[in-house]
This record gives sequence, structure tokens and C-alpha cells, in this order.
Amino acid sequence: MRVLLVEDEQRLAENIVAALRETGLAVDHAADGETGSHLAEQDIYDAIVLDLMLPGKSGQRVLQDLRRRKLHTPVLILTAQESKESVVSLLNSGADDYLSKPFDLGELLARIKALIRRAKGVSTPVLVVSDLELNTVQQTVRRRGRFLDLSPTEYRILEYLIHRPRAVVSQRELLEHLYDFDWEHHSNVIEAHISNLRRKLNINGTEPLIETLRHRGYRLREGGGAQ
Amino acid sequence: MTRSVSITRRLVVTVLILELLSAVTLIGAITVHEWRVQLKVFDASLVATAESLMGAVQDTEDEADTVMLDMRGVRVAKDAAFRVEDEHGTVLGSAFDPPRLETEASGAQAFRNVEVNGRSYRFLILKGVRIVDPGQPNGGVSHGITIVYGAPLSHLWHEVLEAVRFFAIATALLMGITAFVMAWLVRKGLAPVHELAREAERISSSDWQFHAPTSAKETAELQPLAAALEAALARLQRSFEQQRRFTNDAAHELKTDVAIVKSSLQLLSMRKRTLEEYGQGLALSLEDCTRLESTVQKMLTLARLEQPPESYSSLRAPQFCSLRDTIEDAVHQSKPFAELRSIEVSVDFTGDVKVPIDSRDALLLCSNILLNALQHSPEGSAVVIAVRAGEGTVQLTVQDQGEGISDEDRASVFEPFYRGDPSRSRKSGGTGLGLSICKAICERAGGAIEIANHPAGGAVVTVRLPAEEAASDSTLSSSLKAE
Repeated sequence: MRVLLVEDEQRLAENIVAALRETGLAVDHAADGETGSHLAEQDIYDAIVLDLMLPGKSGQRVLQDLRRRKLHTPVLILTAQESKESVVSLLNSGADDYLSKPFDLGELLARIKALIRRAKGVSTPVLVVSDLELNTVQQTVRRRGRFLDLSPTEYRILEYLIHRPRAVVSQRELLEHLYDFDWEHHSNVIEAHISNLRRKLNINGTEPLIETLRHRGYRLREGGGAQ
Repeated sequence: MTRSVSITRRLVVTVLILELLSAVTLIGAITVHEWRVQLKVFDASLVATAESLMGAVQDTEDEADTVMLDMRGVRVAKDAAFRVEDEHGTVLGSAFDPPRLETEASGAQAFRNVEVNGRSYRFLILKGVRIVDPGQPNGGVSHGITIVYGAPLSHLWHEVLEAVRFFAIATALLMGITAFVMAWLVRKGLAPVHELAREAERISSSDWQFHAPTSAKETAELQPLAAALEAALARLQRSFEQQRRFTNDAAHELKTDVAIVKSSLQLLSMRKRTLEEYGQGLALSLEDCTRLESTVQKMLTLARLEQPPESYSSLRAPQFCSLRDTIEDAVHQSKPFAELRSIEVSVDFTGDVKVPIDSRDALLLCSNILLNALQHSPEGSAVVIAVRAGEGTVQLTVQDQGEGISDEDRASVFEPFYRGDPSRSRKSGGTGLGLSICKAICERAGGAIEIANHPAGGAVVTVRLPAEEAASDSTLSSSLKAE
């Protein structure tokens, strides 16, 4: 999952970026409204964390422009103003959630994850596909009750695929959503990770969960016991 | 509850009292006048009756040529008292027996007011000569007739009181009508006051809108009040809003700084880290704390400077400090920053003056202005500090070679937390309190500060302060250049 942080306060941004990366999210940071708006409109983010008081272009305007372009990326607002009116007007102009400064870093992470989940149509932190169980809080994966030992990237690929059941996910989409601009990325990196992931998921002769559709991408099969 | 005074009641009562006083005076005057008129009429009627009595004195046609009173054709009031007698004291006729009244010799007529049987009478004493048989050769016999004729004065009083009563009733009626009409008129006339009050009542701390009603604006007496109210409220609203903005901005600033400290520490505690990571994290957190501290420090400084000078300076005598030393210190302090960006700072200052600021604030003033200039200077440029001492004042200018200042920034650059172009974020502009602090220091010392664009490019900050001559030694510019 990839998150955009738009925050002009450098030290605060550094801390939030570090925390988000530590929980396994890819993060891009924009230090002003113009850049933030430009990045947000690429539609490659699974959530946006937006400060209100921004140089160049206010957070409110960034949000309005985003919604005007019919982009529904979940947006969490960081604000130092706590008046009821400003919260109401924020929610009305398309914000999905808000946190007032000074906030709790843990709460911010939980809220961002909840926003991402809900935007993908999932409401609980534990995702289940046939006999596979993925816990987004503990970041653990179990198949038939057995814990699987996945690398962080493998986990993130699997998490992303589970969030989009039955859909064909291209390598490009995976790249966009799993890596931020700070990473060197090549599509064959994805291929390698997918093949590792497949191998680890394949225990005791179960059906392969991840399908490869040539030149199109990957798909998580919902089959087996569930049907 | 304090005693309240009604203008309406006061006005009505005042007018009524005035009316009553004039009515009383008028009635008094009328009484006197009426009395005189009636007295004249009364006297005339006394004279007329007495004359007719005189005419009624007839010859008795006897040898002695005596006279008698023939009352036929003479009309005498029923309660009138009279006596007609001849020169011998013979009473020819009388009624109610008037008293004997002494008459001073000469006058043919005289009036007397006398009490008879408990009633006031006015008597006329008429002396005349009646000639019997004037056709006879001896010229007839003349008789000196004295007539005393009087009528009760109560008639006179009655007439006077009748006339006065009419006036009194008319006046009372008039006063009643006046009271009602006055009350109504005054109340109507005061309606703009009530409207003004109603409008003023709507003001609250959340709604400062006040527009004096047109009725109040069109009333000459209320116009100054309405205008003063409007102006005072506008001023209050402005300062209230300034305060609110300051509080909001201060809260925002502090919350952001606290958020940084908090997030730094929480990030550090998210999972177990190596000793080295903890060390780095703590160093960063400490840095964040220092920044929070400096924000608070600046806010407190500004709050201290914005306190009324009395409460602040009464604790100590006004202090003076050397402007030269202060500038020297400020230049010295900012030297590392200037060198880092290879900006040359030059000072053009001969002599020395003393300014009425304590040395700590003076240094704050100079170094804030200098730092502001340095922050807006491109690398490798120059900043020029110049001081011109005048008669009792001193002018300090700090000129940079930066991008200058826009007109809209000029208006508000001295407002707390104003950071000019919003694209300059916190990291370059500090907290946005530096120039506000400068302004507060200048104003407290009775000076002024302004910022403008230099024709040759860059911004110039000009500070004017009251100053005193100081023992001068003009070594500063040379010593600084030598460094």
C-alpha cells in the first residue's frame, strides 16, 4: 500500500514517513500544497495524509481539487484547528477522517490502515480468502492454521492482492502501490517476489492461490474450500 | 438597584413647573390689574351714586330755605350705607348709619375704607354746595352738603375673583393638556435612543456587528453617541480579532511543535531499537524540544513587551544602552550565519548614541532585524547597517540585497506569526514573531519601525528611536572593518 503525506513541517513529516515505512507502507512526501496536489492527482495512492496549513496551496483546496477530479482516494486531514465548523466543512468537502495535532502516532497509523481497508471494501483487520488468513495488524499470514514466514515485500504483495479479490492486478499497479519514489524498482523484482510468495503459500499440495495471466498480471483465486 | 432618572418625567415636570410659575405670576398680575380696573369702576359708581344723591337734595320750600333729600329717582344699592347732611350737621337722609369720617379740609371728594359691622366698606365723602333759589336777588341760599356714601368691598372682591378664577381654570386645563402632550412628544422624541439601545443590546462577543439605526444618526444629539459607539466597537472588534488571531496562531504554532516532539518520541518507541538509534532519536527529540522552548520564549517576550509600559518600567528606572555596543554584539552574534552564506555585513556608524531601551531588548531588536535581512539575502550578497543620529533621534537602517518586499507583505509583516509569502514555510521563516517583537520594542521606546523597498533593489528596514548623545569615540566602523 502506498500513502502520500502532504506536510510542510519538515520534522513532523520525517517522523510520520519513518513510522509509516516501519509499518510496511510505501510513503511519498510532499512539502507544499502544489506538489501534494500534483502527486495526489496521479491516482496511485491508497491513502493521503493531508496537512491543512500548507504553503502554496491550502490543504482544503488540495482536497477540493482532488474530489473535483473524481478521485476517491481516502484522505485523512491533520489539523491544528479544532473548531467544530472547520471539522464539519472538512468532512463536507470530501475528507474521510481527521486528526488534530498533536496526535498519537499509533492512532494515525491505525486510522490510515482502517481508511485503506474500508476503501477496498473490507471492514475488519483480518482478511480471509478460502483457507488463507491475513492479519493486517500483526502482519501475519496463516494457511490452514499454519503461520507462513513471509518477507515484508511478499507480505505487502499478498496484502494488496487480497484487498482486490478476483481482479487482475498488473505488475505496474503492484509497483505503483508497493513502492514509493525513494525506491529503485524494476518489474522483474515483482516477478521474483511473486514466485517466492507462490512457493511459500504452496503447502501440503493445496491449490495454487495466485494465478498468472500472461501480459496482464496476477489474480488471487477465490476457490477451494470456500466454494 | 441605583436610582434611575427618567428624562421624560424630568422634562415634563420641568415644563409643568415653569408653566405653573408663569401661571401664578400671570394670575398675580391679572389680580392686581383687575383689582385696579374694578376699583376704578367701583369708585366711578360710588361717585355717580353720590352725585345723584347730591342731585336729590331739594329745597324744602320753607322760609328758612332749608334743604331735604328727595329719594325719588335715586337708586341706591340695597346694602349701601350713606348719610347726607347739611352744613349744620342735620342729617337729611341715611341708610345703615355709616361712621363719622374725618375729612381733610380741602378735597371735594375723598375715599375711605372702613370696617362697618364686620364688613369692609369703601366710602366716598363728597362735599358739595347746593344753592336754593338761585334766581332770587340775593343769589339764593347756599347749603354745604356732605355726602358719605359707601358700598361693601365684597362686591369688588367678587368681581376680581370671578375674573381670576376663569384664568386659573384655563391654566389648569392647559397644564393638563401640556402634561399629556409633552409626555407623548418626549417619548416619541426619545424613540431613537431606545432604538439605539436595542441595536446596542444585540452586540455580543461573537457578533460585533453594530450599525447605528438611521433614526439615531439623523438625531443631532445622538449622532456623536452613535458615531462614537460605532467607532469604539469597530476598534474593539479589531483588537478582539487581533487577539483571537494571535491566540489561534499561537495555539497552532505550539500544537505543531508539540506534535513534532510527541511524534519523535513515539516513533522511537514503536519498536525495540539499537542503542545508536536511541541516541540519535533522543538527540533529535531534544532538538525538537529546544524549538518548542524557543517558540514559547518568543511568545513570552512578545507578551512582556506588549504589556503597558507603566507596569513594566515602573519597577526600574528607564534604562539606556549604547546603540553602538548593541549593533556590535548583534553583528558578532550573527557572524557564523553570515559567514555560512558568505554574506558581508558592513556597519556605517560614527559616534555613539544612547537609546532608551534596556540592553537585552536592544540586542533582540538589532539581531532580529539583522537575522531577517540575512535570511532574505542571496548567498554572497551584502547587508549594510547604517546609523544616522539627528536632533534627539536616531535612525537605524538595515538594507539587504534580497528580493525585496511585496506591498501586501509590507502591511502585515509586523503582525505576529505572519510569514509573508506562504510558500516560505516554518523552516526558513522561524516562528514569524521576530519582526513583531522588533515592533513591540520600538513602540515601547516611543520609536517606530518600517520596511520598504530600496530603489537599488532589496528591502530596507528603518528604525527611528529617541536618542541621547553619548560620550563619543568613533572607532567602531574602523574596528569592524579591520576584523
